[in-house]
Order: sequence, then C-alpha cells, then structure tokens
Amino acid sequence: MGYLEGFAVTFKKWGEGVTTKEYRAGKTNRKGEISDKDQKAPKPPRAHGRHVLNRYEDGMEKCIGCELCAGVCPAKCIYVRGAENDPEDPKSPGERFGFVYEINYLRCIHCDLCVEACPTEAITESKLFEFSFLNREDAIYTKNELLVGDDGLPQHLPWEDWRPGEDEHTSGWMRATAPAGKASYENSAAWSGELGYGVRAPEVGQDNPEDQVVEAVEADLDAHGAHEHGAHEHGAHEQGGHH
Amino acid sequence: MTATEPTEATTGIPFTLNGKAMEAKPGEMLIDACERNGEHIPRFCYHPRMKPVGMCRMCLVEVDTGRGPGLQPSCMLTVSPDMVVNTESESTKQAQDGILELTLINHPLDCPVCDKGGECPLQDNAYSYGPGESRFVEEKRHYEKPIPISDLVYLDRERCILCDRCTRFADEVAGDPLIHFMDRGAQTQVNTFPDHPFSSYFSGNTVQICPVGALTAQPYRFKARPWDLAEIESTSTVDSTGARIVLQSSGDRLVRVLGVDSEAVNWSWLSDKDRFGYEANDSENRLTDAMIDNGEGLEPARWTDAARKVATALAAGPDRTGVIGGARLPLEGQYAWAKLLRQHAQIQNIDAQLGDGLPAQVMAGLPKATIAEATAAGGVVVLLGVDAKEELPSLFLRLRHAAVEDGASLIELTPRTTGLAPHAAVSAHPVPGTVGTVVAALADGNLDQAVGGVEPATLSAMADLLGSDRPVTIVVGRGNLAESADFTVDALAAFARLVPSARYLSGLRRGNVHGALAMGLSPGAVDGLDTEGILRGAATGKIDTIVLLGADPLADFPDRALAERALERVDNIIAVDTFLTESGENADVVLPAAGFGEVDGSFVNLEGRLSPLQAKVTPPGQARADWMIAAEVAAATGSDLGFISLEELRADLSASVSDFASVDWDGLATSDDGPVVVTTGDAPDFGDPVVAPSSDGYGLRLVVDRKLWDLGTMVQQSPSLANLPAEATLALSPSDFSGLGITDGTDVTVETRAGSFTVPARADAGVPKGAAHIPFRLPGFDAGSLIDAGVAISEIRVTVG
Repeated sequence: MGYLEGFAVTFKKWGEGVTTKEYRAGKTNRKGEISDKDQKAPKPPRAHGRHVLNRYEDGMEKCIGCELCAGVCPAKCIYVRGAENDPEDPKSPGERFGFVYEINYLRCIHCDLCVEACPTEAITESKLFEFSFLNREDAIYTKNELLVGDDGLPQHLPWEDWRPGEDEHTSGWMRATAPAGKASYENSAAWSGELGYGVRAPEVGQDNPEDQVVEAVEADLDAHGAHEHGAHEHGAHEQGGHH
Repeated sequence: MTATEPTEATTGIPFTLNGKAMEAKPGEMLIDACERNGEHIPRFCYHPRMKPVGMCRMCLVEVDTGRGPGLQPSCMLTVSPDMVVNTESESTKQAQDGILELTLINHPLDCPVCDKGGECPLQDNAYSYGPGESRFVEEKRHYEKPIPISDLVYLDRERCILCDRCTRFADEVAGDPLIHFMDRGAQTQVNTFPDHPFSSYFSGNTVQICPVGALTAQPYRFKARPWDLAEIESTSTVDSTGARIVLQSSGDRLVRVLGVDSEAVNWSWLSDKDRFGYEANDSENRLTDAMIDNGEGLEPARWTDAARKVATALAAGPDRTGVIGGARLPLEGQYAWAKLLRQHAQIQNIDAQLGDGLPAQVMAGLPKATIAEATAAGGVVVLLGVDAKEELPSLFLRLRHAAVEDGASLIELTPRTTGLAPHAAVSAHPVPGTVGTVVAALADGNLDQAVGGVEPATLSAMADLLGSDRPVTIVVGRGNLAESADFTVDALAAFARLVPSARYLSGLRRGNVHGALAMGLSPGAVDGLDTEGILRGAATGKIDTIVLLGADPLADFPDRALAERALERVDNIIAVDTFLTESGENADVVLPAAGFGEVDGSFVNLEGRLSPLQAKVTPPGQARADWMIAAEVAAATGSDLGFISLEELRADLSASVSDFASVDWDGLATSDDGPVVVTTGDAPDFGDPVVAPSSDGYGLRLVVDRKLWDLGTMVQQSPSLANLPAEATLALSPSDFSGLGITDGTDVTVETRAGSFTVPARADAGVPKGAAHIPFRLPGFDAGSLIDAGVAISEIRVTVG
C-alpha cells in the first residue's frame, strides 16, 4: 500500500470545503483592473502591522529619543538617536527629541515590544501589513516615513496599500489593552491625545474575548463606509471599491 | 574563620550579619563590612573615597549593640564587637520603602530623557528596595531644567536628591568648593555662587558620582543610552600619571570615559582632560591617508609609496637624521620605532622630549618612588618645579589628599605659586636660575642669608622638614620652559647630598614619555643630539632629515623661532601623527597613525608602572598602529623588525629589555593597578653646577609654564574643551607691577632679543620679585616667541606703552 494511505487522507478531505480564507486585496481581473472583490480580509483588533510615530495634538512629536524601543527590540531592527531640542523651536516637549528613528522591516517581527516599551506612546503599530519593497533601502523606514504628517495621518508610501479608515487603527493596540492587564483600567483613557484624532476613545472591554473580536471587527468595517474622518482627504485610499 | 588564617582571626572584629557570624576590619564602616561579606546595602550619598555624611538615609539597617535593635545609617557606623546587624528585618525594609518614597516625592519621572536612565542608582534602588507605588499626588517642585554650572556640566535641580556627593567632592577632594547647598528645607538646592561657575579641572567627576541624573556632562549629553554602550578598560594617555579609565563606545565612536578606582593611581578620579579629551578622536581633522608632498603640497598617496619615501629619507645617514617625539605612542610602538631607528638605521639623535623635559639619564638614575609611597601618611614631599594641578591633575589629587588628610608636608619649590600652594607647609619661589643654589645652600647649611629671593626663615623651615627623619619624596618636573633644565639638575644634585635617602617621582608630564625613555627614545649616550641639538643642526644644515613621531616642535618646543628656522631649512620632514599639526604641514611624507582607544598596547606611567591601552573603536581611514608603521618602513628599507604581531613584538621586547623580561602581558588588562616594571638605572651624572648669568638689574627673568587648558592639539580638537583656555596675560610680582604704575589688564610692551611684543599684564602675588610669568601656548599671545633656547635664562624688559 504505502503511498496510497497518504492519498486516502487527501481524498477524504476533498469535499470538506476550504478552511483557510482567500486574501483578496489587490486582486485584478483579466483586464488588469482591480476587481470588485478587492477587499482586505478583516483583521483582529490587535493585529500588528507597520509602525507609525505619533504627534501630540499641538503637532509636537511624541518621540523623545529614549531608545527604549531599540533596547527592547528582540530583532534589533530599531535604531534611534536622541538629540537636544532647540529651546526656541522644540521638536518634542522637554529636552530631548528623536533625532534619528529607523526601523528595518526586513528584520522587524512585529512583536510590538517597542510599543509596550514606549513611555510616550510615540511608536504604535497600525494593522497594515500590505506593503512590500523592491530593494533594501525602501525596507528601512526612517523618521520621514514613520512620522505622521501635519494632518496626523500616516504617510502613504507607494508600495503600501492603505484603505480608507485604516488610519483609525494606527494606535489600536494601545487602546485595546489595559495596562498590566488589570480590568479596573478597562474603558478608561490612559493615553495622550494625538494630532488629528484627539484623545481616542478606549475600545470596548475584554470580558468575553471571543465575542469582542468579531464585534469589534464588524463595527470597524461598518464604520469605514459611513465615517468620514474629519476634513481629511484620503487620496491614496481611493483605489478601493469600498465607498 | 579557619585556623589557617590566624592573623585575620585575631585582628578581625566579630559581628553578626543576618544571623551569621562575620568579621570586620578594625575601623571599617558597617556598610563596607557588609558589602565585603556579600550583603549589599543600598546607598546614595556614601562613596568609599569620600567622608561619610549620612545625608540620604538609604543605608539604614537594624543594628543592635546591646541596647536593643534600632535603625542606624550603616555608612556612619564603624563596626563594634558583637554588633548584631539585620539588613533584612521588617523595620529595615519599612525604612527603605519610606526613604525611597520620600526621595521620590520631588524626583521627576523623566527617566526616558535622562542620561542616567538605565544606570541610575535611584532607579535601581527604587526597583530593588522601593515600595513600588507612591502615595504622593501633590505637584513636585520645579526649577528651570538643566542650567549650565560650568562649560562642561549641566545641573538639573529637579532631579537632585541632595546626597551631597558632588558638593563634598568639590570641597574635600578637588579643593574647588564652588558648588554648595543653598536655601533651606524643602527648597534646598545645589547651586553655584552667583557669577562663579563651577570651573574646576575635576568637574566631570561630579557627573560620574551623581547617583541620579542631576549632573550631566555636556559632551555626553544625549549621545547614547547606557544599553548602547560597549566598554573596555584602558589607561588615560593625556598625561603621564596614567589614570585608569573605562572607554565606552556606541556605534564605533567613543562617547564617554569613566574613571576606574585604581588603588595605586587615580582612586577613580579623573581630570576633565582625561575625561573629555576623547572627543578629539572624532575630529574631522584626523589624518586618514598617507600623504606625500609632490611639490604642490601634501596629497593622499599609497602606503607603500609613502613607506618607500620614508625609507629613502632615513638613508640620509644616521648623523644627518634626527628623530623628535614618541611620547604619544603606546609602548609597543615605541619599541618598534626604537628598534628601527637605533638597530636598523643606527640613529643616535633621538629625543622623545621636546626641550621641555629633563635629561633622560638623570631621570633614569633617580631612586624611584611610587605615588603611594610619595603620598604616604607623614611623609615630606618636595614639589621641585612641578605644578601638579596644571600638568598632572590626577597626581595633584593624590598629593592634595596626602597633605590635607594624611599629614604629609609639602614643600613647594617652584618658579611661582602652584595649585598645591594652599596646602604647602613651606612655599619657596626662587627667581629663575637660582633653584640649584637654593638647594645647595640648604645642603651646605647656609641658612643665614637670602638666596634667589628666598628668605632665611623659609630656608630654615625647609631645612627643618628635610632634616627630620620623615621619609622624603621629591616630585621633579620642568617648572620653567624659559630656564635651562640644568638648574633643576643642579637642584637634584644638591638634594642627593642633602637627603641621600630621598626618593623621586618623575614629573615629566607628556603622555607615555616614561615608556619612550624606557624603550630608548632618548639621545644616544655617544654624541646623540637632543631636540634642541637636532633643531639647531637642522637650522645650520647639519641635519637633512627630521622624523616627527607624534611631535609638533613648532608648537611644543619652547623656542619657536629656532623650530621655525629648523623646519624651514631641513630637506626631509617625515611626520607620523594622528593629526596634521603645524609642523606636519611642512612635511614631505605624512603617515596616519591610529590613536588613543584605537589600538592595543601598553603605557608606562611616571612611577614606571605598566598598564594596558586597549582598542575600543576602529582607526579612521588608513591609519594604523605605530608599530605596524615602523614594521612597514623597515620592510621598505629591505630589513625586518622580526615581528608581525603584537604578541611577537611583546616577546621580542621582553627578551631585549630586561625591565620587561617577566611581564605578564595578557594579565595586564585584568589588574586595576598594574606592576611597576621600570627600575632605577645607573646613578645619574649631574654634571658640574651651572652658573646663572648675572642680571643687568633692568630685565625680568621669564617664567613660562603650562596650563591644563591650552592650545594643544587634543584640547583644540575636542569641541567641548576648545574654548576653555584663558587668554594669556603677563603676571608680575606686585612690587614690580606697582613700579609700572598701571592697572590689571593694561597692555605692556615686552622687549626681548627677538623683538618687542604687546601683551596685557597683571599683578600676581605668586610670582617672585624679579620674575615675569606667562603660560605657554595660550590664546592671545605665544609665549614661545619670548624664549631663547640658546641662553640659560630668557630675560624680558617690560615697559608701559
């Protein structure tokens, strides 16, 4: 018999249907046009993706160049150097700002330890993982790429597939968790405001995690269609057929 | 305690630590005794090199001396017999919690922006011994964030926990009590006095000992965080004391230097030059390429071409070649060059000193003392010419401690007042040219009349101290560049008669000069020319080739005019250096050398103590170790030095230099002290006493000495230090000054044989009558233009207008 036993397993599973989900985003039809089915699959609220460096509501950078993220990074993919703020034209509140900030996405494993370590909520992760590069230089994101723009929105690089509303999740992980896992912190906002968003609302509690994931994702998806994010234009998002 | 260690058992003081029987040394503080027995007690204010004050209360432990257990600060308590100590009791823990909670009331939680964050005793103690949470919700006290209290140190009073370490250091150790507690109660703060910055040569030590981030160093500010740093132990080559240091780098750049507690040498303290001089390593002016002058100035060239050109120049013949310098090099580089020059090229005209030192054969023959022996309790220390504070600051701290704390008596026998004057038992400042006769008068017992301006009472006081049966150490340096070294040699000869048992500590200041002398980079015994002879020979066409081993005669040779004439006339100049110096710009071939912290090697300090130099960063460009350069030049001449690795070189060195025969080269790096290896040589030949030319009565005898901050390459290439040198002024004794009828700072005209110059003058009670003092290499005025190496004493005339 031998190899036939292996085939038997294959044939038995034949009719059971697909258990993995097809990822549709970016799919084109035969004419090369983006098809109607071009939708990203929903992601759990705590999905880890491409980082952003946040600003306070007054436009100041949150990063103070403390290098805690670089120190904790298990992949050693973050390089940070601090420098002294010019008192006349400070980049961040206080004495020190992040002078150099680089993340090498060829190494990053999106573990989010940098986000946990950050004392100022400067570095957070979006859910965006739909990005790839054609050379190594592009893979190293510097402060120019990571820092949110003057409107508080993340930079949209040519090789990144941002969709409308995804900027809402640039600090989702922070808001979904309670510090030290204590339930008493749930639903209270223990974070500072961000440029373009203000103090973001806490995500719902964590009483029943299984339900929460599905509900949160569905709520997100609904929100995208209806919710216009302030007065901001989402130019780079227009490629999707989601509107 | 086993029976095999009877001495400790009989002298030890028994006490109980956490239920276990322990022994303390007599007089030992409880905090030290516990530490030694493996029980760390948290502390902020206690520092083993300073007097305890009990300021922070962090080291409270439960102690029972028979009257019941109570909390006592272990840093203020000497261990008494049968003391029962509990560092783990409930009340000790409660005290630690309380003290930390109290300490953190006003301490801002800006650790992420604080340079101390990550290596902070307050963080560590709060983490290990603290309560974890604070009950305080009130506003913390606020001050202006960091204020510069000197050019090098910032003070953040919000972070200060008032431990008194920096203020005690400034007062007790450095003797510069320029920072102090101000205000009272909750408003107490550390600050400087109004309009008096903390301008101490030792200010950087306060940053190192600050247990929080209240004091931060301007050069290191935000350069790196502790977990970025990689470190290695080495030795400071800034001066010849050889202070032990830790080099810390981040991203292949030196970013910080810390002092290591070497019992034999620097007791963990450093001068700011030791501490911040590393900045010069990163200067954009570093030499990175071999260069050859092709007729249109220096152009980068291939190493092999440059080495071949050096080989050709050295072939000019041993008599027509002079080699100046070598004190910058590590010992291994000095050995390789000495072997190349002496054995392969037969050159005798070699001098590691630049006319600003003392004869090598005299220094080698003086019976040696170590720093520990010189500063031992109850000794007498003669400061012959040397101004330790300006020239050898790490040694200064040891000498000062000996005088202030250990009852040593200092005799200051210098051309003018020095930094140790406040602690000197006797101060004598003979007019230039008379120090030999002053000591001869002491030796001959002629104490009745003044000699060289030194009064009979002063002579008697010196004779009394030297005549007592206390051990005498003579620290000898070249105190006056405008006066021939022969006068100092005469003084040494007279001391040899006066105190035959005296021992000597060299005060030659320049880096690894003692290694250079040990390796033979000094004039050959037979007709070898010293630097002055080489320059004079070059100026008169008798020398064709000058090799500069990390030397800049235009800047460092006292007589600038002679150096200029020499470098103008000579055919070939070969410069091996880390920077393109003024002299190097005239060179025909320039070879880039790897500098401090860039190569492995060894260092010989002024005691003859061997300590390691270790590489932490990569040399810039094509710069390479000095010994490799020597080997390369040897290869270009068609010979071979016989070693192609540091290990082979060291084996060769041990085999050929007897003092180094039994050196454990690999073990050097692991010892904080290092062995004294250089032994005393043959008895020195002091020669005949020189006769000082008589003064015509109108001129003033020039005193030119060195300041710590000057226009030297290292200071000028370190951005944080470059602006520290003060403007040069001519200092006259008050009586000479009042004769001019002017006020301090007025420009005067100085006439010398070389011409007349204008310089601001001031009165200085530390300058003897009949002398005029101006420091060497300061901005504003080049004292080198006043010095004539051809005369025993340079004289000037000072007129108003």
